[in-house]
Amino acid sequence: MAKFNLFSEDSNKSPLARLWRKFKNNHPALVGLWVFIAFSLLAATAPFLAPYGVNQQHSDALLLPPSWNEMGDVRFILGTDDLGRDVLSRLMNGATYTFGLSVVAALITTVIGVLVGTFAGISKGIRSSFLNHLLDVTLSIPSLLLAIIIIAILGPGLMNTVWAIILALLPQFIHSIRNLIVDELGKDYVTAYRLDGASKWHILSRGIFPNVYEYIVVIFTMALSTAILDIAALGFLKLGAQPPTTEWGAILAENLGLIYLAPWTVALPGVLLFLAVLSTNLVGDGLRKVLQARKAD
Amino acid sequence: MQPLLKVQALSKTFNMRAGLFSRKKFDVLKNISFCIGKGETIAIIGETGSGKSTLAKLLVGAYSADSGQILLENNTIENNGNRDAQCRYIRMIFQDSATSLNPAVTIAEMLDDCLKFNTDFDKTQRSEKIGSTLLKVGLLVDHQQYYPHMFSVGQLQRVALARALILDPKVVVLDEALSSLDPSVRAQIVNLLLKLQLETGLTYILITHHLSLVRHISDQLVVLNKGEIVEYGATETIFQNPQSKVTQRLLSC
Amino acid sequence: MQLLDIRNLTIELQTSETAIRAVDRVSFSLKEGEVHALVGESGSGKSLIAKAIVGVLNERWVITADRMHWRGVDLMRLTPEQRRKTVSQDIAMIYQDPSRCLDPTAKIFNQIAETLPEVAAKGFFLKRNRERKDRVKALIHKVGIKNHEAVLDSYPHELSEGVCQKVMIAMAIARTPKLLIADEPTTALESTTRAQVFRLLKSLNQLKNMSILMISHELEEIVNWSHGIHVLYCGQMVEAGPTHRIFSQPRHPYTQALLKSLPDYEHGLAHKEPFYALKGTIPTLQHLPIGCRLGPRCPQAQKECVVAPKLSKHHGHSYACHFPLIKEIK
Repeated sequence: MAKFNLFSEDSNKSPLARLWRKFKNNHPALVGLWVFIAFSLLAATAPFLAPYGVNQQHSDALLLPPSWNEMGDVRFILGTDDLGRDVLSRLMNGATYTFGLSVVAALITTVIGVLVGTFAGISKGIRSSFLNHLLDVTLSIPSLLLAIIIIAILGPGLMNTVWAIILALLPQFIHSIRNLIVDELGKDYVTAYRLDGASKWHILSRGIFPNVYEYIVVIFTMALSTAILDIAALGFLKLGAQPPTTEWGAILAENLGLIYLAPWTVALPGVLLFLAVLSTNLVGDGLRKVLQARKAD
Repeated sequence: MQPLLKVQALSKTFNMRAGLFSRKKFDVLKNISFCIGKGETIAIIGETGSGKSTLAKLLVGAYSADSGQILLENNTIENNGNRDAQCRYIRMIFQDSATSLNPAVTIAEMLDDCLKFNTDFDKTQRSEKIGSTLLKVGLLVDHQQYYPHMFSVGQLQRVALARALILDPKVVVLDEALSSLDPSVRAQIVNLLLKLQLETGLTYILITHHLSLVRHISDQLVVLNKGEIVEYGATETIFQNPQSKVTQRLLSC
Repeated sequence: MQLLDIRNLTIELQTSETAIRAVDRVSFSLKEGEVHALVGESGSGKSLIAKAIVGVLNERWVITADRMHWRGVDLMRLTPEQRRKTVSQDIAMIYQDPSRCLDPTAKIFNQIAETLPEVAAKGFFLKRNRERKDRVKALIHKVGIKNHEAVLDSYPHELSEGVCQKVMIAMAIARTPKLLIADEPTTALESTTRAQVFRLLKSLNQLKNMSILMISHELEEIVNWSHGIHVLYCGQMVEAGPTHRIFSQPRHPYTQALLKSLPDYEHGLAHKEPFYALKGTIPTLQHLPIGCRLGPRCPQAQKECVVAPKLSKHHGHSYACHFPLIKEIK
């Protein structure tokens, strides 16, 4: 039966280039990718770009609304909070904590998950089962609750939040990666590689990982959005970042009392959180759609 | 004439899980023996579950037998489960060409890896060998830069044949390799195989259900049923005078 | 009466630049009780034609035809609901990979029971249940499955492909359709099951007067029991006519090449002698040649072949070639 796939027959592009081309056609996903990259850059360069210091207080400009409001001041583009600190600078630095730390947490989870999942995938029998279900006990507890339990044991603090989130996300990762690798191992080309004389390492690096890393990126984005929300939630509950750390959840919690007086101090961190999670989900969704379309060919 | 490949008393048993704690032994192959000379084709036919694919994988080295010997040119390459892993003289072509090629690498990289694992050619020798093998199977040298998704099904089988031939094997096992092809493409590939057999004296082990093809290109025939050889001999003799009931049933449809 | 009457069916795919003609002016007709075969390799559009008749192509495909009549009713003029009703009553279709076409989460009994036609409910719930069981059992026996207990109680993944295909046939004949469209039903099966399925289809045709439209890419399977053949290449109809006539006297070079690629067709072919094969491969949809699509590969192609040849009819045997073969093969 002829397959009527009109987009990629003429071009001899690598699978990655074809993936990018299909991804580009999905406009929401592409916009999400731009926002994601913008956040990543912001997280990396915020300390250098922020106009004011994080804890710099301006006693003459307390509770100023954002600059587009008639009472606002263009010096403080997004206004100030009750201690006269510039909201813009605090939010930019917060990107480093919320977004940046979530990326770190998700990356560490990915690395550990890939290692354990790969070992579980290539071994057989009891060892594979053991590695696969190693952390399954944590699957029964929701991630936020698990994080709270771990904070209760280790004490509050931002780094402890990160460990808690890593532990909560790992079991799903290990399962997914192990399933991916077991699926790939069942395919004929792995047998062909073995018959050619490739060692296990060769099979993994040349055969399995190039075909599997795109799915790993999808799982990474899902973990990332969970991580962002968890870090912010824990910061809001004052279990994670402690004030005056400018993590977005902590800022939200601090300024909650001002919600009637100065709503922008609460709305703006919320909007940023929403955009961060939305962009991550759009990118993950777009990638997943492209991979599904490719599998259907 | 000395047979090129001699198979003696091969047996393979699988342990299947039956119930919670017990394991049942399942005899996939029992006491298989046959031999084939250089430049000949032997066809293996049988119903599903008769053990054809297992036999193919055993011959090529993907599984190891529980007992029995395989001798290639009088050198034992398999003896009661110990396989000489260095032997690459028996190569295999799989049924589904699309899944038997790594979709993430170009043909050149795949063939290059194959050569790197098994020979110590240097870079120029390798690219020469890749080019000449691609020409031998009817593709162009430039095809090596392509990814597998660019090829049609018939061309993918040629690529799989190139992968099998690049190590200059003596025996090629075709595990239902021609079943999923269109008739015209199949005719082209069969012509190619016959030409290569005539020029280089390759030996083929053909596993298929296509009986008219078997009659046309094979010299000997093995009929398997439930893991045992039911009939073995020259193709024409068996076709004209099938002895056992199983063979008669297979050949009548 | 003519069951199916199709004239100049054209199926085009609308892309952003042009419309690609996947099926180019194919005509055929089917009488009651006739077995007709559509033969073509991959890319010939035969499955597209079947799906167009049944009406399951999505909106990307534009279907135009001079006539597409089912028992006198023009299928193109019906609303989707009417079409679905007409088609579901009288036409059934079986597919290529039977285990993939069955619901993997339901037992076979439930799947067959679902396709039984509605009968007026009479009697108690238990009586109706018993009746349903009997009818399902009767259907399963009719397709040749002896151990109905085991099969009805299993899921599709536990059964072999041959049994799954028989189950599909049982589901297809549950409503006694007038036409059964078989889209390459035996490619995934092995030779003994293949013969069983063909015997079953043949008996259905002879005993129940069911017409069968058989779609296949292997000629040798259908030669024994089809009444007429249509040979397609890249969406164009190259030859059509009664089976025995096409076998003994193919007029189109493509038909001749298909016939010659069968190992036991020409008795003169020695052991291990190469087959006659056309050079080149089937063109992809984007690179269809103009005019006669076999042009680049045809050994007899000349300048005139850039214009698509018209169909010439001769005693019920039609062919589309500027330079048809006149030699008799057998």
